[in-house]
Amino acid sequence: MAKEIETVCVTTGPAEVGDYVALNIGPIHPAMHGTLRVITRTDGETIISAEPEIGYLHRGVEKLGENLTYRQFLPLTDRLNYCSAICNNVAYELAVEKALGIEVPEKAQLLRIIMMELARIADHQVLVGILGVDLGALTPFFYLIIQREEIYEIFEWHHGARLTNSMGTIGGVEAELPDRFHEKWPKMRDSIRKANDETDRLLTHNRIWMDRTIGVNAFCADDALNWGFTGPMLRACGVKRDLRKDEPYLMYDKFDFEVPTGKHGDVFDRYMIRMLEMEESIKIIDQAYAMYQDMPDDAPLMKKVPKIIKPPEGQIYHAIESPNGELGFFIKSDGTDKPYRIKIRPPCYMVYQAFGELVQGEMISDLIACLSSINVIAGELDR
Amino acid sequence: MPRRPVVKKEYTLGERVYLVEITKGLGLTWKHFVFNIKASFRKGPHTVPTCWQYPEDRREIAPIFRGAHMLMLNEKGQELCVGCGMCAKACPAKCITVKRGKRQEGEEDKYAGKTYCSTFEIDMLRCIFCGNCESACPKGALVLGPGYELAEYDMESCIYNKERLLANYNEAKAEGKLKPPQKPVPVDAPPAPKKKPAAKKGAGASAQKAKAPPKAEGKKGEDDAAKGKTEEKPAE
Amino acid sequence: MADWQIDLIKVVFIWVWALLIAVVMTWVERRASAMMQDRLGPNRAGPFGLFQPLADGIKLFTKEDIIPEKARKILFVLGPPLFALPAFSAYAVVPFGDKIVLGGKEIILQVSDVNIGFLYVLALGAIGVYGMVIGGWASNSKYSILGGLRATAQLISYEVPMGLALLTIVLLYGTFSLREMVLLQQGTFLGFLPNWGIFKQPLGFIIFLVAAYAEANRVPFDLPECESELVTGYHTEYGSMRLGLYLFGEYVNLGTLAAITVSLFFGGWALPYVDMSKFLGPVAYGIASFTVFFLKQAFFLFLFVWVRWTVPRFRYDQLMGLGWKALIPLGLVNLFVTALLVQLTI
Repeated sequence: MAKEIETVCVTTGPAEVGDYVALNIGPIHPAMHGTLRVITRTDGETIISAEPEIGYLHRGVEKLGENLTYRQFLPLTDRLNYCSAICNNVAYELAVEKALGIEVPEKAQLLRIIMMELARIADHQVLVGILGVDLGALTPFFYLIIQREEIYEIFEWHHGARLTNSMGTIGGVEAELPDRFHEKWPKMRDSIRKANDETDRLLTHNRIWMDRTIGVNAFCADDALNWGFTGPMLRACGVKRDLRKDEPYLMYDKFDFEVPTGKHGDVFDRYMIRMLEMEESIKIIDQAYAMYQDMPDDAPLMKKVPKIIKPPEGQIYHAIESPNGELGFFIKSDGTDKPYRIKIRPPCYMVYQAFGELVQGEMISDLIACLSSINVIAGELDR
Repeated sequence: MPRRPVVKKEYTLGERVYLVEITKGLGLTWKHFVFNIKASFRKGPHTVPTCWQYPEDRREIAPIFRGAHMLMLNEKGQELCVGCGMCAKACPAKCITVKRGKRQEGEEDKYAGKTYCSTFEIDMLRCIFCGNCESACPKGALVLGPGYELAEYDMESCIYNKERLLANYNEAKAEGKLKPPQKPVPVDAPPAPKKKPAAKKGAGASAQKAKAPPKAEGKKGEDDAAKGKTEEKPAE
Repeated sequence: MADWQIDLIKVVFIWVWALLIAVVMTWVERRASAMMQDRLGPNRAGPFGLFQPLADGIKLFTKEDIIPEKARKILFVLGPPLFALPAFSAYAVVPFGDKIVLGGKEIILQVSDVNIGFLYVLALGAIGVYGMVIGGWASNSKYSILGGLRATAQLISYEVPMGLALLTIVLLYGTFSLREMVLLQQGTFLGFLPNWGIFKQPLGFIIFLVAAYAEANRVPFDLPECESELVTGYHTEYGSMRLGLYLFGEYVNLGTLAAITVSLFFGGWALPYVDMSKFLGPVAYGIASFTVFFLKQAFFLFLFVWVRWTVPRFRYDQLMGLGWKALIPLGLVNLFVTALLVQLTI
């Protein structure tokens, strides 16, 4: 792991929680993504302490997994990070495939990569859009969400669902790239870039936006590592860590893409990293699509797997780089058709536990900006 | 207090005075405004390119859309479902109830198989539209159809019984929204260790259950893994 | 007609006009924002969705009127009208046209030409904030009180630069009456520019416009409401027509501010370079002058909408910083320079 810590860190005064006003933000609040709750102590507008509370969307997904077969658990993974359900699907499929000791055919891998990167773009678009909405700029959200709609259309034509995709199965992918993708991708690529560019023009150099984001919730890289940050949050702090590069899965080692990093870990860096990653994702899709087209038409899309999946006894952990960071599935198998234990490592959980520290000493407005920028998805957080 | 990196704000002069960038932004929104105003003078309901005027103007639904379930009939109008209950087993939400009935004399033109489902209920309040039932069905009898307007006034109506599911099929057929026949997905199967009997019964839509026809198996050893084999789904 | 009857008609006219602007503005806001965001906006109720504000009004009227149990009831009830009324009252001094001759009588198109019209507008703007603060405080909710506090701080801070910008105008024209200011803006300046306030006071205009946005609680200065942070700020606990009054008052406020901007900086009812009174009949001239005024006002109303859907929101401390560290010094410098120039030229 490349550690590039250049920034100077200073401690700013001791923390004191006295008789400050307790302001309860959430679980029902326009800016709370899902049902999150933060109990803050405020001195005027300044936050003295913030205590995140989780569990409002707890559905017991992990426990449910113990009572469902391996195939049945797949649709439940959609409901983790619903902004990029495909990444969850693929992460789970890869974990089970690892337990079974199989590797899916190359064409299926490419297909998964294309779909995952599309999902990553969709996820980042939502995040950037919502960040704008929470900071008062509603317009970029619509420009981005319209592009997400196009991506969802491709999902729909590939596997029949837009949001809760349940893409593929254990052992491969059920369908080839849809015609829609072949028709639309060249145009879509441009329109995604155009929407990003418009967002960039509306926000990035606008001083109001810069004031609201630069230096807000800045976080030190070593703190971020200690808290277990992954993904864009960690990269924003200046640590070049991307599972696609560092521990390649699928065929990510064959692609040429950059891992953008920030410097201060502030909201602006997080925003910029997401904007840049969308561009990188487009690059990856282009490369994967070219490789995909070189594949013969009858190249296999699936590996033969038994109808009832019974991984051998043992435990495995497999993680992928989801849009939010490291999304890992730990599966302990006792040799039956149901997992003995499934543990999900959601990326935003690790970030959200540092939330109190992230927002301490900032203002209420910054709390909202911070919450949007770390992309906490309650479905993933509470599971 | 947490440690914070020291951030230096380096603004250019253009950024420092708010108005330059705001004016640029205003230009951008103005462009959109003019474009959409022009577009909204177009005839027809679908004026602004990205908006659908919902009840009158509808999106095109993908042919493989996973919407409301339907129980399929074959060309002769016979019910395909044999009441095996595979769908109920595969369902992660446990929302399907199937009871099997024996086909009586004189019911041959009604049911395709020797058995049929005497009751078939799907609790749409529990259903998560994952499509597992569809891929589990060995007969291709249960299919997630194009219907997506599923709101009801009471909970009882959300439990789709057999009539409702058949009606869904008829509706989709009348509108020509039935799924086109799916191309079977090529499966990279390892060379079969022992010869299996040729698949007589129809395989489901999902290809992991599609059994390899025997003629493919001979060649399998020669082909490398990357090339693989296309499998024919045995016709019904 | 007796004078009082004419005055009554004028008052009713102004009242209806202010109401109409507010009603249509809610529609314009939604449709224009939709068009800027590649959406459609409300288009079902009536042609182009024009009756949507009516439908909203009916909805708000028929909703249950909830007063929170722990609210200070009298103040809670007092809040919304206290916010909306000053906004309406400010229209009284707006010169919305030159004059019209009806029945042989020359009628000035202004409810009352008070010679301190200008201070009256400023004073009423300051009263409006009480509506917000009282509403926020009486709701007995933390979000509301934060919104109310923000409103107070913001409005007090931005009254100052606004006042400074307006003072330069007063220095320039040497009068407090809005009508006289408009009359002084006829003709040309430097030979080719219209003799408008904006060309004589560009800096003053920018300061005034920014302060006007802050006064009207519009994005980027909508901190008292601040949907994503304070739920909806000072009117979080309000419902039914009380909420409606707040929303309505905001748009009436916009109308007033746009009208003041036009009168002070854009020559009021007069067209540049053209003197309409020369070739139009007395009645037609009155109507034409009102139309010109209205069109100018409409442009500024649209600008309010346009800016709202383009820029993000300030943070509380940055807003204060802009007000105290940028606008007030700028306003002072501008005032000083203007005073110097006025002193030298006269």
